[in-house]
Amino acid sequence: MAKLAFFFLLLICSSSCVVVREYDKVYLSDAEMQLSARPCERFETNFHIYREASSGANGGKTGGGCGCN
Amino acid sequence: MAQQDNTTYKRRVLETSEVDLLFSYYNQDGNNAAVTGGEGTEELTDATSSIVLRMPLNEDDVLTVDVGLSAYTSASSSNVNPLDGGVNVTPFDASTGESRKDVLAYINPSYQHTSEDRNTIWSANAYFSSEYDYFSIGFGGSYTRLFNEKNTELSLGGNVFLDKWNAIYPIELRPGFFDDRVEGNGSYAPTFTEFDKESRNSYSLSLSFSQILGKKLQGALFMDVVSQSGLLSTPFQRVYFGNASDFFIDDFQLADDVEQLPDSRLKLPFGGRLNYYVNDFLVLRSYYRFYWDDWGITSHTANLELPFKLSDKFTLYPSYRYYTQTAADYFYSKETALSTFEFYTSDYDLSKYDAHQYGAGIQYKDIFANTKVFSFGLKTIDLRFSQYDRSDGLNAFIVTLGTTFVGN
Repeated sequence: MAKLAFFFLLLICSSSCVVVREYDKVYLSDAEMQLSARPCERFETNFHIYREASSGANGGKTGGGCGCN
Repeated sequence: MAQQDNTTYKRRVLETSEVDLLFSYYNQDGNNAAVTGGEGTEELTDATSSIVLRMPLNEDDVLTVDVGLSAYTSASSSNVNPLDGGVNVTPFDASTGESRKDVLAYINPSYQHTSEDRNTIWSANAYFSSEYDYFSIGFGGSYTRLFNEKNTELSLGGNVFLDKWNAIYPIELRPGFFDDRVEGNGSYAPTFTEFDKESRNSYSLSLSFSQILGKKLQGALFMDVVSQSGLLSTPFQRVYFGNASDFFIDDFQLADDVEQLPDSRLKLPFGGRLNYYVNDFLVLRSYYRFYWDDWGITSHTANLELPFKLSDKFTLYPSYRYYTQTAADYFYSKETALSTFEFYTSDYDLSKYDAHQYGAGIQYKDIFANTKVFSFGLKTIDLRFSQYDRSDGLNAFIVTLGTTFVGN
């Protein structure tokens, strides 16, 4: 429960950070700065789901869709 | 005087169709196969190919279709029935029977709509997959809102999977089993009952929050709540009891039971990404996840990737991933569970271990897509290698080739 509370506190506080205008987003728009896994990482995520007990919080499968853990 | 309507240019969400062609080859080995009660070969190879097609339907809508095929051969799966190969039976060798290989096919279509002001996105998806002993059907959706001049993004999603096992049990536990080669003290008579329900349902709620933290820094937080119910055991994974007599055919020990796991599970993963643009040559990409579930498992995952831009076209990205987990409450190594226990498994994927993964990838990018295949231009090629080593002795490597083509 403490971890959940910390997560939401982080959520709320970070939304008050600086505003970067569209014309200043040249670095943020770089392909390497995307906040998601690369398309070719999906197969690694799949084998992690099969071979590890945990999953989720990474855009991949969270459970179901396979006979995995 | 001529009058002109007020027209505002609206950029399309997706300018042109894109196709991703992805291929991977995976190989693993170890000595703790769950099919043979935590002791036996874990040798497995898998070749997977996927095609992802993204098509703009109009200025605001995108249809994506993801289709894949995965073919694997597994020495441990072959030992579901080790007696159909006609050779000396041992858990450390593969049987040559039909249970050695299988094919998984899936299709995952999704539809996405973006609002006029580009601040709201909703999507819907479906999922179908089939393999010999498992069938899955799923659907879901998400709602995303951007605000704060698109510096902040909040997304809420949900998915439902309605799956079904076609339960396959170890050969010695199937009705009518008889083999005159069985050796042991007494007669082999395991107290085994087939699972009466084969359905397996998963429900997940996902929340993500991303925030621009500066001109060169941005991060995201992810949280899922996952509830699973139904047949969560794997029907062909053997368990050997410490208080039961041992029976063998050649070097192969016959099962006392199959794994028995609770029919419900609650999972709570929390993750976060932080990316920092160091300079025109280097970006830092980091990821961390904490995971908890009500089976007693907690885990930590940490990943760091460093894309180095060698030139306008080539990027090299070494990576390192560390993973550690505690054991499930129901995990017992071979012959340590007792027949009086309610739940037990000898699947080392649910045991306590650490894992290190070392990877390297290289990407070729042509922003003008000059190389053509039919009417599609080649945009990127990715080649990626990873070596995965677990503290319980399992090791694996995976090679992935990914290409992206854009239409004219």
